[in-house]
Order: sequence, then structure tokens, then C-alpha cells
Amino acid sequence: MAEPADVDPKLLEILVCPLTKQPLRYDRAKQELISDTARLAYPIRDGIPIMLVEEARKLDEDSPVGR
Amino acid sequence: MSDPRIFDRRAVRAHRRRAASSFADHDFLFREVADRLAERLLDIQRPFTWVAEIDARGPILEQALRNAGVFEHRGISRYLRLTDDRSAGPSILADPELLPLAPQAVDLLVSNLALHWVNDLPGLLVQARRALRPDGMLLASLLGGQTLHELRAVLLEAESEIDGGVSPRVSPFADIRDTGALLQRAGLALPVSDVDSIDVTYQDAFALLRDLRGMGETNAVRDRRRAFSRRAMLMRAAELYHERHRTADGRIHATFQVLYLAGWAPHESQQKPLRPGSAKGRLADALGAVEHSAGEKARPR
Repeated sequence: MAEPADVDPKLLEILVCPLTKQPLRYDRAKQELISDTARLAYPIRDGIPIMLVEEARKLDEDSPVGR
Repeated sequence: MSDPRIFDRRAVRAHRRRAASSFADHDFLFREVADRLAERLLDIQRPFTWVAEIDARGPILEQALRNAGVFEHRGISRYLRLTDDRSAGPSILADPELLPLAPQAVDLLVSNLALHWVNDLPGLLVQARRALRPDGMLLASLLGGQTLHELRAVLLEAESEIDGGVSPRVSPFADIRDTGALLQRAGLALPVSDVDSIDVTYQDAFALLRDLRGMGETNAVRDRRRAFSRRAMLMRAAELYHERHRTADGRIHATFQVLYLAGWAPHESQQKPLRPGSAKGRLADALGAVEHSAGEKARPR
């Protein structure tokens, strides 16, 4: 598989979780933007952040993420 | 409890998707209004480095701003298209009702003929103000309350004649009388709202409906009737339309009312009223009049 298209770091700086408006963590390996406050992971596909709640992956409630 | 949302955003998306392949044949209104937005931005003497478009319908507005020289003269270096429509070439896929933008993310937020489908316009304006850098600007066009008033009236009349009842067929739109207050309530400074009326002629009501479908602008009111409209009702509406709104050469008029909203994120450089009690001269002197005491002493707090 090809390397995922990298997303512009400057773009990531201005993105927040659309629900909680809190900062996001960038998981480069998984190509996801993680909202710890909303417990959601927003995917990045072809360099485009998908900031839609209905397409975000729900984070498991008990397992700590990104440690 | 009934859902307070007026518009069905999934229907809006579906209508736009259906329209996407032939949108270029029906986008004249979008291109015309995009040019008018570009003119307004050329009048603003301030650089805008980062720009985001809310609910973009493809590259129309971005292209209009480039063609008019706004990119060059206002120093735009990044232009982000926010949309929930994959076919519109998004920079960020986002629900226009839930902006994913950090505080003070951009210098300019623009939107062209899209926000009339937003359920919570006051809420969106608050989100927009927060996403703007100090002295950043919001400039949006959206369809206003007089849009398609001819069609609305004849559909209501034909439906009540033939079906004996009515259902909402043309969207409720924001009214120019409300928009200034909405901008102010959102905390935007120096709010300006104004209105344009664009008169379009069509061969008949069916051509108008085809064009609306081609724009992806057909009814997405949640309480709309899902069943197809009966042919007899549409025929009657078309007949009434032609009787009442025909042009000299036998076509029909359709009104598109466009509202323009502009406001600024507050900044100390903007003019504002002085603090009460801070006057250095007397009003009576400025007017060359004699001051008569009303018997009360001013008590500045």
C-alpha cells in the first residue's frame, strides 16, 4: 500500500472537534484526528480531514487511547 | 416531542448530489452572486491571508474571487472549502452547522447561497465569529424571504383548490429585517446587511422547477410531503403562475432575493461609541444653542 497522503500540518493547527470545539490529536499512523473530549476519531482520507460526527470512529470507553 | 429543526440536511445533501453532474448548466445564480461577493471584497482595504468558505458548492466562489483579483489584492494564501458534499472538492469535509475551526483560525469566512439551508443560523454566526481572528470578516450571501414568492403563492392556491389542504413546499427563508440583529447577537461588530433582487424569466413553471432541481435547491423542509405532487395540482399551479406573473413575451418571472451579511470580529481599531460622560465639549456649544437645565444632575457611574 502507498504511504498515506500527508495532511498539511498548518491545516491541522486550525482544526478542532466540531462537537466540543476542543483540540485534536493527530495519529499519523492511523491517519486519524482524535477528540479526547468527544471520544471520537475523525478519519483523514486522501489528505482530507473528514470532520463529520457520523463518520467518526467511536473510541472504546474503557481502553486508554494514545498512551 | 417534535424535532425543532426545519430543514432535513440529508435531503439537502441528496438534492445536491443528484444535481452535481449537471450543476454547471444551472449555476448562473451562484456565479452571478459570487461575482457580487468578489466586488464587495475588493472594496475592503485589509489583507486576508487565510480564508474558509462555509458550505461550498464546488469551486464557483473561489474561482470568482481569483478572477476578480481578490486573491492577488487581498493576499489570500490559503482558501479552504468546507462542505459536507464530497463531489464539491472539499478541503475539509464538515457539517456546515458544526464548524470544526479553532478559535481565531482564519481572517475571512465567506459563503455563497448556502446558509438558507442551515437550521440554526444564529448558532452558526456565533461559531463563525469565534473562528475569526480579531478584525476578521464574515461575508455571506443567502436566499431571502421574497425568494420564489410567486411560486409559493400559486402552489398554495393550487394545492388547496385540488387537494383541499396545504403542505410546506417552498422553504421559509431568513428576512432582511432579522439579519442585522442576528449579526449583532453573534457578537459581530459593524454589522451590515443588504438585499438584492434578481428577476429571472423562464418559459413556464415547469422550466423553473427543472432549474431548481438542477441547482439542487428543491424543497428540503422536514415536514414536506414525501409523496410526488399530483400532476393535476402542478398543472393548475403552472396555469395560475402564467396568469399572474407572465412577461410581455409570454414567459414567467421568478424572483430570487439575495441577502448579504457582513460583520467583523471585534478589534480595538474599529470605531465604537464613546463611553457615556466622556464628552469634552458641550452639545449646546456645538449646536450654538442655549442650554436650559432640566433640573437633574448627571451622575456618571
